[in-house]
Amino acid sequence: MIGDIYAVYLRELIRLWRQKVRLVTTIMMPLLWLGVIGNAFNNAFSIPFGKDFLSFLTPGILVMTMVFTSTISGITTVFDREFGFLKEMLVAPIKRESILIGKMLGGVTQAILQGVIIIALAILMGVNFKGVEAIPGMILTMFLVSVAFVSFGLAVASKMTSMEGFQMVMNFLIQPMIFLSGAFYPTKMLPSWLKVGVKLNPLTYGVDAMRYFAIGMNEFNVVMDIIVMIVLSIAFILLGGYLFRKS
Amino acid sequence: MKAIKIKGLVKEFDGIKAVDDISLEIEYGEIFALLGPNGAGKTTTISILATLLKPTKGEAKVNGYDVITQASKVRHSIGIVFQDPSLDDRLTARENLDIHGRLYHMKKEERRKRIEEVLKMVELQDRADSIVKTFSGGMRRRLEIARGLLHKPRILFLDEPTLGLDPQTRRRIWNYIERLREEGVTVLLTTHYMEEADYLADRVAIIDNGRIVALGSPSELKDSIGGDIIKIKCGDANKMVDILSSNGFNAMIVDGEIMIKAKKAEKEIPRIFMLAKDIEIKSIMYKKPSLEDVFIHYTGKAYREEAGDEMEAIKRGWRMRR
Repeated sequence: MIGDIYAVYLRELIRLWRQKVRLVTTIMMPLLWLGVIGNAFNNAFSIPFGKDFLSFLTPGILVMTMVFTSTISGITTVFDREFGFLKEMLVAPIKRESILIGKMLGGVTQAILQGVIIIALAILMGVNFKGVEAIPGMILTMFLVSVAFVSFGLAVASKMTSMEGFQMVMNFLIQPMIFLSGAFYPTKMLPSWLKVGVKLNPLTYGVDAMRYFAIGMNEFNVVMDIIVMIVLSIAFILLGGYLFRKS
Repeated sequence: MKAIKIKGLVKEFDGIKAVDDISLEIEYGEIFALLGPNGAGKTTTISILATLLKPTKGEAKVNGYDVITQASKVRHSIGIVFQDPSLDDRLTARENLDIHGRLYHMKKEERRKRIEEVLKMVELQDRADSIVKTFSGGMRRRLEIARGLLHKPRILFLDEPTLGLDPQTRRRIWNYIERLREEGVTVLLTTHYMEEADYLADRVAIIDNGRIVALGSPSELKDSIGGDIIKIKCGDANKMVDILSSNGFNAMIVDGEIMIKAKKAEKEIPRIFMLAKDIEIKSIMYKKPSLEDVFIHYTGKAYREEAGDEMEAIKRGWRMRR
């Protein structure tokens, strides 16, 4: 079982390595957010946040990057189906779960790698992280968010037969979740009717946990944040696993 | 024990029978071809045998294992080359093989050795570390065959192994498949190319509309529709026909030529020369019936290979649009 997962994972790693340019190009968007928006509002908004805006924004951008990268890498199983490699794995004497977990770990690895690059760049830009003790918590949060959204991507991919559905998922599900998560602003700045959306949005708690571990700022209980993320991950793994097996 | 044993196999898709009561036994070491036009049910049959599809009815055993209850053991016993490409074209040839070896639980040393062996066999050693994206269609096919053989399966499935390849490349693939006989691998291949089945297969099952319409070795099948036709041009045709008829031949004159229907022309021709004696034979030729004739004989309809089908599909598409 472990060997099977590793075989599937190894292929994902080789592919990741071959496409390392993509790691850099997909980092452009978060970089623009930090470099342009972050710096632009840095001075204007520094007081109401208790921290500088750039430091406040960075954990949100990290979560955003996790969500985008993970969802997309989950959805790439569609390509496998189109280009036939999935068949090669399906006919091998291994369990479906091994394929699923191997692919999932591949997506998570890619997302966390990007996260690490962003953290490094953020430090260069002068973001004040808590210090070394911030690292384990940040990695944990990145891992949970990534696992949840790779699984989500797999679930979507299992139901999707063309790449057109992809845009819809991104625009109608992923984008609203990110905008309502407090990634870019403190949620208390919103009118109360929008706050309902924020509270119902599981990603809110991911951003909150990340911000707590990174710069020591939080709106909710961190233990609750983590529990919400774990529940979300498990729910999406089960959903993704179910739909993937069925397809 | 048989390499493959199929009994009363049925597969329905939305009430339409893609495979309709197929029964079949294939011996170890045989090269067996499922021959039929596109959509006859060949790929569906192979998919069931490879445990990718569940049959609606009937049973199938591969290497003695049931395809439903012992799927994992079946998968260990078989190698498969799919009709559609299934390589990862961002990986090198060697990486594709290595991942395959891991998926089939081969130990590191065994994997390393066997990868060299199969690469050599399909003459791709020089390109082992090139990314598959740079490979031609023929090279990809060869690599897929190598991959199918990597874990030393007892049975290899080849689904349309030469589809869309140029004649020269097709020849080359045939050579590799023929060589598998020496390795003792049982091969089940599907094809809609008549010459392919004729050239490669020990036995052929002709499939049409999900049913087996004829089964046997290529020569048996061709013999079964009534033998060969011999045509003779000679000096005194009438006298020759008389001689032939009185010696038990089925001979007649058509357009000044003598036509003889014979079970085995190559056996009869020397006799004809003996009987002719002083009658001058200007030319003699005979035609063996092809598998195409066999298909026409058993299904009562003309056989179209790929090109014909494509044209039909395009025409249908046009009609539907209008």
